[in-house]
Amino acid sequence: MRFRRLSPWVLLCSLVVLVCCASAAPAGPATVVAGERPGAPADAAVAPAQEIQLPNKPDSLKFAVIGDNGDGEKRQYDVAKQMAAWHERFPFELVVMMGDNIYGSERPQDFVKKFETPYKPLLDAGVKFYASLGNHDAREQRYYKYYNMDGKLYYSFKAPKQDVRFFALESTYPEPDQIEWFQKELESSNEKWKIGFWHHPLYSSARTHGSETRLRATLEPLLIKYNVTLVLNGHDHVYERIKPQNGIAYFVVGSSGKLREGDLRKGSPLTAKGLDTDNAFMLMEIDGDDLTFVAINRDGKVFDSGVIKRREPAK
Amino acid sequence: MLSRLMLGVVLTAAMVACASAEPQKDRANPDAAAIADFLKRVNAYVDLHKKLERTIPSLPKDANPQQIDQHQRALAKLISDARANAKRGDLFTPDMERIARKLLTDIFRGPAGDQLKREIFEEAGQRNIAPKVNGRYPDEVPLSTVPPDVLKGLPKLPEELEYRFVGRNLILLDPHAHIITDYIDRAIP
Repeated sequence: MRFRRLSPWVLLCSLVVLVCCASAAPAGPATVVAGERPGAPADAAVAPAQEIQLPNKPDSLKFAVIGDNGDGEKRQYDVAKQMAAWHERFPFELVVMMGDNIYGSERPQDFVKKFETPYKPLLDAGVKFYASLGNHDAREQRYYKYYNMDGKLYYSFKAPKQDVRFFALESTYPEPDQIEWFQKELESSNEKWKIGFWHHPLYSSARTHGSETRLRATLEPLLIKYNVTLVLNGHDHVYERIKPQNGIAYFVVGSSGKLREGDLRKGSPLTAKGLDTDNAFMLMEIDGDDLTFVAINRDGKVFDSGVIKRREPAK
Repeated sequence: MLSRLMLGVVLTAAMVACASAEPQKDRANPDAAAIADFLKRVNAYVDLHKKLERTIPSLPKDANPQQIDQHQRALAKLISDARANAKRGDLFTPDMERIARKLLTDIFRGPAGDQLKREIFEEAGQRNIAPKVNGRYPDEVPLSTVPPDVLKGLPKLPEELEYRFVGRNLILLDPHAHIITDYIDRAIP
């Protein structure tokens, strides 16, 4: 996938970002960066565009990440349209959802307006969505066929390609039963890649909610012990790539429909890259020990990217 | 004579000790009885809920929105019919209401209180919506967030019930039937 060429300083910034990432791999063919919106106002949070390239290999696992998306408003539709456009070029097979999947009323017509219509091109193309539940979601969503939750509030699934297992948690009511399940599930997982996703962020620089420190105290020891490489969250209506914490990569992707402009604390020591002036979704690709990611705004432009190396088990 | 005197002293001491032990126990957890009573009522509701839910077809794990909606409404009707005389305070007894109000006052008047209120009201708004026992949760109101401190402070509920806010009111929501089981009026100070 090739995009327009941009200024050299962006290349330098991108390189710095990647180097700062403790778990980042050396940029190989997975070097992906880019995207400023043409005609957009000057915005420090959006990196200027440059040439990018995703590996886009035939046997890699390709997936998208969205969060806090289901309000049925124009921004959600704009993002969904970009997802469909990207899918044409980068055929991701699944989408993981960070929760707040359906805001407000949850009548049958709301599922249509806030999910089935905006993502129709993807659903028609056979893309599978895997949801976690946010604080605004009714628990009955777990039975909804398109969310593939198998009637469960928390669950795990093996990805169709590569050696990857996803773990979806319900973080609004993190009862001990669920934590016990999570520990056992992690312990028994033999997959090389372990990826957790749920609604409330363990790390976030947003003013509105911020880091869920109590949840972090419960979950982080498990993530470390059982070699989880990547954690994806939402809740705060921003995009934020967190500097790796204890070797684990964290992202807040809570702006795929909702947006809380100006909510990120400037100069937060947690932030590796943030965007709080536009909506966002992510694309990820796992091939062997490398995960390449790009974050894309409402105009379909990449504004953040990098490579994450799979965590090795502690010796 | 002396032994009778000694016996009297011992008995008196024992009685004094017993008399003072009971209030100490109450002081240790003065809300225990009210919480136990609340949970007993919750469990009775859940038993009814389960009994009635068994009489309608289970939701498939790959349900469409119509099936979810129909299931909710069918269960809601069964529960509402079975609890036709239900009224506010049936679960949140006055004692339990007092406990919950104190907790919420402590939390929402605490250092993080204003921020927590903003989170709760941000999407649902501080609308003047009067909850109704056995009434369907208002479709136009997004489900509120419930701060962890509130969840931690209130008695744990089985999955057939959950705490939510509608405006300033704390409600007990039956998420399977999408109905309000009980509520505390203007619980958020």
